[in-house]
Amino acid sequence: MKHYEPKLVCFSCKFGWGYLADEEGLHHRIKNWVPIICSGKIDAIHILEAFKQGADGVLILGCPEGDCHYQDGNFEARKRVYLLQRILEAYGIEKERLKIELSVDPEGNTIPQIVKEMSDAVAKLGPVRKTKDRAKTASVAHR
Amino acid sequence: MWKTESKGAARVEEALKQLLPPCQIKCPINEDIQRTNVLISLLPEDPELAKTQIVEISDYLYEKNPFFNICGYICGLCELECNYKTKGGAIRRRLLKRFLSDVYTEHLGQKEEYSIVKDKENVAVIGGGPGGLMCAYVLSKKGYRVTVLEASDRLGGALWLIPGYRLPPEILRTTMSNLVRVAGIDVKLNSKLGEGKLTIEKLRNDGYRAIFLAKGTPYPRVLTFDGEVVEGQDLSGVMYGHTLLYEVSHGNLGREYFDGKKLIVIGGGNVAFDVARTARRLGGEVTVIALEAEDKSSRDGIPADEEEITAAWEEGIRIVYSRGVEKIIGEHGRFKGISCPKCTSVFDDQGYNPKFDCTDCISLEGDAMIITVGQVPDRAFLQREELLDEKGRLVVDPFTLQSLRKGFVFVGGDVRRIGFMVEAMKEGLVATESIERYLRGLDMREGRKRDYEGYGIPVRKSYKPEVEVAWIAPEKRMHFQLFEKGLTLKEAREEAKRCVTCGPCVSCKACISIGFEKSLYAVEVDDERCSGCGICVYACNYDSARLTEVEGNTISTTDMFKCKSCGMCVVACPSHARKLIDDSTEQRIERVLAVL
Repeated sequence: MKHYEPKLVCFSCKFGWGYLADEEGLHHRIKNWVPIICSGKIDAIHILEAFKQGADGVLILGCPEGDCHYQDGNFEARKRVYLLQRILEAYGIEKERLKIELSVDPEGNTIPQIVKEMSDAVAKLGPVRKTKDRAKTASVAHR
Repeated sequence: MWKTESKGAARVEEALKQLLPPCQIKCPINEDIQRTNVLISLLPEDPELAKTQIVEISDYLYEKNPFFNICGYICGLCELECNYKTKGGAIRRRLLKRFLSDVYTEHLGQKEEYSIVKDKENVAVIGGGPGGLMCAYVLSKKGYRVTVLEASDRLGGALWLIPGYRLPPEILRTTMSNLVRVAGIDVKLNSKLGEGKLTIEKLRNDGYRAIFLAKGTPYPRVLTFDGEVVEGQDLSGVMYGHTLLYEVSHGNLGREYFDGKKLIVIGGGNVAFDVARTARRLGGEVTVIALEAEDKSSRDGIPADEEEITAAWEEGIRIVYSRGVEKIIGEHGRFKGISCPKCTSVFDDQGYNPKFDCTDCISLEGDAMIITVGQVPDRAFLQREELLDEKGRLVVDPFTLQSLRKGFVFVGGDVRRIGFMVEAMKEGLVATESIERYLRGLDMREGRKRDYEGYGIPVRKSYKPEVEVAWIAPEKRMHFQLFEKGLTLKEAREEAKRCVTCGPCVSCKACISIGFEKSLYAVEVDDERCSGCGICVYACNYDSARLTEVEGNTISTTDMFKCKSCGMCVVACPSHARKLIDDSTEQRIERVLAVL
């Protein structure tokens, strides 16, 4: 059986993650990485789009409580993740597939590790089941 | 690792400086406080690695303020206006500058000279203190050939009177010598004007096309009571605080100079406390007699800083408030004591006009008396040079600092009006601008007036208290080493992180200078889509998103001077009516998602 490698998209805040590192180097170590000026700038649309385009998980790395450069961006991001997790669950996308971590790592060295840990957790869930597959299973179960 | 740029898009433009955070307005030279706070908060944890960045940040500050490292020991005016003071404590910016100084001052010896083409006129600066040197520094950078004439054998002026436990003399020495080296300023020490043939006319004949006079206040003010000079100031054992600090700075007094002596210091300003704490460190038992009252919030409140008074009290100095000195009592030509009536009020509606109740009088005895009631300029010199009017007042235009008697002479600093170091530096800057306009034949006043507009504090969920600053225990302070402990790298980063960047982006640009953003994105609101719900107003912590009426409809707008281009309002808008122009974030996300 082919080893399943989940596709994770990682958004991280520039003021808290990797600002001391060589960005080129980090891009080689983290796949599908989008550094962004503030975690609060990540819209629900971006997360949903990611899942729509084939992501199996979305990881958001923001700054610690009380440390957001734009005052409360990390708080807004966490609120958004909280609410989205509930909505996604109703559509069969498990809440473990959307994760937010509020911490700081100027060198960015822990990012590949955090991505790997989440990847392992998502791998257990398998790829995101598309709606048409779920509909098929449901109709099969009905018979 | 980030590198901070100060050219191109990251350059802060002079013209837009009217919009500033309150701290930068309070600073007489409008230093880029916000920018350096943000940069300090992004320093690495490792002190060795942080050194390069600290030098970069310091080089940036040095461009406009070559005295910034000294500010880190003795200034801190900005903290008085910090918006955070109502939310847990002003950002301790003075300590942040001191932190930078701890690394940078050592580096100053290796700082490269500025490469400037000096093809403009010769200008003379009289006085090698902060006012004069600041003028010399900026004029040199503009290409003028500047000569500083300093009466004594060292540069620094009144800064030398600051005791070593507040400003280490090595810091002062290093800063002065490197300043003139880096900017290529010609210095003539031991050149006192008024001595021999050295006059302003002679300088003019020698080819100096403009002169900045910043001679400061070299003489102490004598003690008066009821408008009359108090008799007995020539008794043995009576001295002036100004002279004492001068002698200490030259290392002329031994550590036991006042051992076992009872000293009475007259004065209530910061300098009086400098003198009292210095005398204490020389072994004396000190009592301070101040005209002013203990309650600092009253009109007659003692002018010295709270911190100085607390420290003095900790060091065992006794402070007596609301007393004047009516008589100095001597015996066989030696000081014996003073008689002090109660001072019932210091200021009235006309100004300084002390009133006394001579029925309530106390006597104090001592071995020596140190008078520290102010400093005065060299009036005889100003008189000879014809810069005074019939009433003996300096005739200078307060806006341009140009002398109204001699058009090529500009006057500023303590000699004109006594103030802090940074205020003298500001006058040096004003004189620079005036001298340039004068020599280039431009209008002296056009476009120079600045009305600054301050900003309130951004809203956030939680605020943090200020960093704890430690002083050495009082019993261990009886020396002239610094008594205040500076910040560690970790403390500096955390304290700088507390800065909530009240000021507009145009006066900061920290994020652009280190490559976080390409530019300051403008926010565009689509009038058709905006329903005027006001969710963006809630989402914006900077009071930038607002609702307004346009042709009977309520729609939202953005005040671009308050906007931080953070994008919170864009995300919060339920109608997708807002967007950031030229922001590539959307494209970057699309690119990553496309290859999933």
